[in-house]
Amino acid sequence: MSVTMEPAAPTDTRAPAAPAYDAPSGTAGAASGRPRGATLRRPTRLAGRVLLGLALPVIVLAAWQLAGRGGSLFGGVLPTPDRVWAAWWTWAFGAQGLGLNPYSGTWLANVLYSAERVAKGFGCAILIGVPAGIAIGWNRIAAGALDPTVQILRPIPITAWLPFSIAVFGIGPGGAIFLIALGAFYPIVVNTSQGARDVDRMLIRAALMMGAGPFTILRRVVLPAALPSVFTGLRIGLGIGWTAVIVAEMVAVKSGLGYVLWDAYYVGRMDVVIADMITIGLLGFLSDRLVLAIEHWALAWRRLQSHHA
Amino acid sequence: MGTVLFQNVSKTFPGVRSVRALDDVSLQIGEGDFVALLGPSGCGKSTLLNLLAGFDRLSDGALLFDGRPVTRPGPDRGVVFQEAALFPWLDVWNNVIFGPKVQGVPKSEYEPRARELLRLVGLDAFAEALPVQLSGGMRQRVGIARALVMNPRALLMDEPFGALDAQTRLSMQQLLLDVWETLGTTVLFVTHDIDEAILLSDRICVMSARPGRIVRTIPITLPRPRSIASLTSPAFVAYKADILAEMNVVHH
Ligand SMILES: Nc1ncnc2c1ncn2[C@@H]1O[C@H](COP(=O)(O)OP(=O)(O)O)[C@@H](O)[C@H]1O
Ligand SMILES: [Mg+2]
Repeated sequence: MSVTMEPAAPTDTRAPAAPAYDAPSGTAGAASGRPRGATLRRPTRLAGRVLLGLALPVIVLAAWQLAGRGGSLFGGVLPTPDRVWAAWWTWAFGAQGLGLNPYSGTWLANVLYSAERVAKGFGCAILIGVPAGIAIGWNRIAAGALDPTVQILRPIPITAWLPFSIAVFGIGPGGAIFLIALGAFYPIVVNTSQGARDVDRMLIRAALMMGAGPFTILRRVVLPAALPSVFTGLRIGLGIGWTAVIVAEMVAVKSGLGYVLWDAYYVGRMDVVIADMITIGLLGFLSDRLVLAIEHWALAWRRLQSHHA
Repeated sequence: MGTVLFQNVSKTFPGVRSVRALDDVSLQIGEGDFVALLGPSGCGKSTLLNLLAGFDRLSDGALLFDGRPVTRPGPDRGVVFQEAALFPWLDVWNNVIFGPKVQGVPKSEYEPRARELLRLVGLDAFAEALPVQLSGGMRQRVGIARALVMNPRALLMDEPFGALDAQTRLSMQQLLLDVWETLGTTVLFVTHDIDEAILLSDRICVMSARPGRIVRTIPITLPRPRSIASLTSPAFVAYKADILAEMNVVHH
């Protein structure tokens, strides 16, 4: 055995435990390590999880339905689920512009209005927030110049910006997009800068050693290393984006799910209000899944890491 | 090409309690020399290597690489890090070609070379593996290939095998001996393992701590090409006894 000058030779805890030869640690283990039958049990487990998850909503819906009389609860304030469903159906598939129901057949159009605003605002937030976050996390001068402003503006709630937004952008989608962008910007910039700050110094040194310039290092080392944090920021930001679009449309836009929400409440159509709320929840959920799917794809290297490390 | 000259170099890390990591170190490395830097943890080995790599600035003295002062890191001095420091999001192939790629070297130039180096370190079958799918020894081989693909004039290795288990370490030492035999690059090799230092190097610089100094230089004249079989030769054992005695003098 070799004599070392330190009390104990350090052993790499991340390396596989004393392999007899220098073999790959991951690929072989992953194939043989899974217990038999796990693949059989998986579908039943999934079905069980789905059933378990559905139990609470089903119970609530049933109780809500059974508690109602003549299609509503609390003296006509809260419509029962069947009425909500019927209202949504008309809202989604009813003939447009006929009869007394102004919402008939406008669901898809309003969904698209709101979704488009969120997409635009969120896109702006990414385009500004990610580079700004990288700059703040990476460069001391950028941090000194930008971070204090961000930190001072951040505590102002997005709702407090509403009058300002209406004054500047007037009644229309511009103000909504501004509020979404602003609301989503903060979590994106804060998380991105945190990720950029935490980049392993050895990776930077490795890139420098290989002749990479500052811009190459930002793009090829800092950005990918910060990407997990960036995605955390994106998911939080997207949630805030949906909040912002509803608030803005309720007050300052004449279309979209937020507008319908407030308008329906005003004329006492609680069935449409609830159908609208569920629609918003669904859209928020689906858009989050979309970001999650992109994250899964972009951070495939990291999933492998957590399996093997 | 690939000569190194430390002239009375000192390095003090500023701070509330400033640390004098290197004190008046002089060291000359000729072209194609393999020099080991041996010493206990914290004696300033990494500090010395980082100065040559251009990661840190010296406080005093002069440091020349190929006759020019070292001011910043560059591909002429390939560094192999203790934990490999591979980019975890790039596969083996893209880790290896990162240097030439970002330097704008034409593909036709670096691709054959990268392929040849992957074969040399025995990883041609793992070009598409991610670093996390590799063992510690394999990661370190990628680290060596990635440094060599840039045709560096010197290879700076900071305890590259220190975190590996004993068996893998032996195979990596053999690999490095073979690679060096074919390429003949100047190497500065930091280690705290006496066997490793004797086996690999032409010359061992023994360092002492606080302040970090080179206290003795021992030429190793074991015949080359060497292999891990040399570890038990009488000449090897004699060197080891000599260095162990030296260590005792340093420590007491
Ligand atoms: N960046 C730094 N700031 C302050 N002190 C440092 C820094 N880097 C190293 N040191 C100190 O310098 C001394 C030498 O460190 P190092 O060169 O890493 O030793 P070795 O590589 O031989 O283990 C140690 O006492 C260490 O604490
Ligand atoms: Mg060290």
